[in-house]
Amino acid sequence: MKKKRYIFIWVLVCLLILASGVAVGQKTQNAALAEPVVVSPADKAAIDVFEKQVKGYIELRNKVRANAPKLSKDSTPEQIHAYRTTLENSLRSARPNAKRGEFFLPATADFIRRTLKTEFQGKDRQELREQIFETETQGVVLKVNYPYAQTAEFSEMPATLLAKLPQLPKELRYRFVGRNMLLVDRESDLIVDFMPDALP
Amino acid sequence: MRRTLNHHFLFALLISAILFTPAPAQKLNGHLSAPLKLTLPMKDGSTRFAVIGDTGSGTAQQREVGDMMIKYHALFPFEFVLMMGDNMYGGEAPQDFEKKFAEPYKELLNSKVKFYATLGNHDQALQVNYENFNMNGKEYYRFKKGNIAFYSLNSNYMEKKQVQWLEDELARETAEWKVMFFHHPPYSSAKKHGSDGQLREVVEPIFLKYGVDVVLTGHDHVYERMKPQKGIYYFVSGAGGKLRTGDIDRQSGITEKSYDRDMHFMLFEVAGDQMYFQAISRTGETIDSGVINRK
Repeated sequence: MKKKRYIFIWVLVCLLILASGVAVGQKTQNAALAEPVVVSPADKAAIDVFEKQVKGYIELRNKVRANAPKLSKDSTPEQIHAYRTTLENSLRSARPNAKRGEFFLPATADFIRRTLKTEFQGKDRQELREQIFETETQGVVLKVNYPYAQTAEFSEMPATLLAKLPQLPKELRYRFVGRNMLLVDRESDLIVDFMPDALP
Repeated sequence: MRRTLNHHFLFALLISAILFTPAPAQKLNGHLSAPLKLTLPMKDGSTRFAVIGDTGSGTAQQREVGDMMIKYHALFPFEFVLMMGDNMYGGEAPQDFEKKFAEPYKELLNSKVKFYATLGNHDQALQVNYENFNMNGKEYYRFKKGNIAFYSLNSNYMEKKQVQWLEDELARETAEWKVMFFHHPPYSSAKKHGSDGQLREVVEPIFLKYGVDVVLTGHDHVYERMKPQKGIYYFVSGAGGKLRTGDIDRQSGITEKSYDRDMHFMLFEVAGDQMYFQAISRTGETIDSGVINRK
């Protein structure tokens, strides 16, 4: 009787180990392509608002961009410089009253903070923090409508993290400066918005 | 006792002299330079290319690496160069493109050598539009030379779309060799950055699934060839314009060969199922060489 109980416990333990192995394997294989974390109706509403604002920004950006010099796939440094400068100045002028928190509204910011906190724990969180804090971001002025300093590095944004955040169009990027999460225009490098204390 | 100590001292001095005396060198352009020595076989019809990483400092040392590449190009006429990112440090005004790229590699550009860049953590997104980086306006792209498919990834920002693109492209890949190049190293023994575990978690399963052969990276300012990791050959070539002397952790257990005493570049030759490589220091010394046989 005692022997049977031992066998049962061993089988149970083996099954548990196997199941956890499969789960870990699946996570590893699909980490970057995973669906965003399951969200509550309130979170979904917050993400919807965020995405609507992003869409509005892109519409404005497209209008502004139409006035910038055309940029081909084989441009000279002068053409790149002219395009970037015009785009940066035009975007700044188009959003003269831009201020922090326009995109990262409290509900959106709360969702992002919770996502980072729940999805990155233990070793993963430690690695993420190390990666972000080793980035040399001296010179970055955390101010909306200001360009990200050209002398500063960009923090690497892990695929596992990007998969869990609201998806962005190609014109925008998430970026970390210390614990702050930034929303940055990809080509002009203007800070569109930022939220403090994003990183747990 | 005193005589024994003297002998020990002299013996130590002799060993130090042997270890730290540079190889026979000749003076070229004011710099000590080792005699050029090519270990690559120069087979007919082979594909020949060079690799440089973390170049864009605009320093005299970057130009010296460029000068050495030109000398080796005369011996081994490589057709193109892969750039591992950090193509431009600290500003990207037109004069920076000149000082940190066009000028150091002027003779290669004049010889119609094409450069294919990838973005590092110091590179602005608009570099993808620069005529001499051949990125075709894209942050991640593929091109084929001979029997090799090259994939440049943007490891700064591995969003879903890019990962999906990589999977889709590799799923229909017909080239015999599959070579990846991007900035952050999934494996590295350097102390400053080291292996990028978060990136590796995402890309390694894809590389394994589709039989990627070689992965070329930069970011750490050293040279390192890893022992094959799950059958894939990983290189870090991140000292084409910056150097972090003594940064290699020699106890990491993953290094096959490493070098952190000077800047370097690499040469590759692919002939059929063999990929030959040679890593060369700023002064022309061969710091590593070998051959990879395709799986």
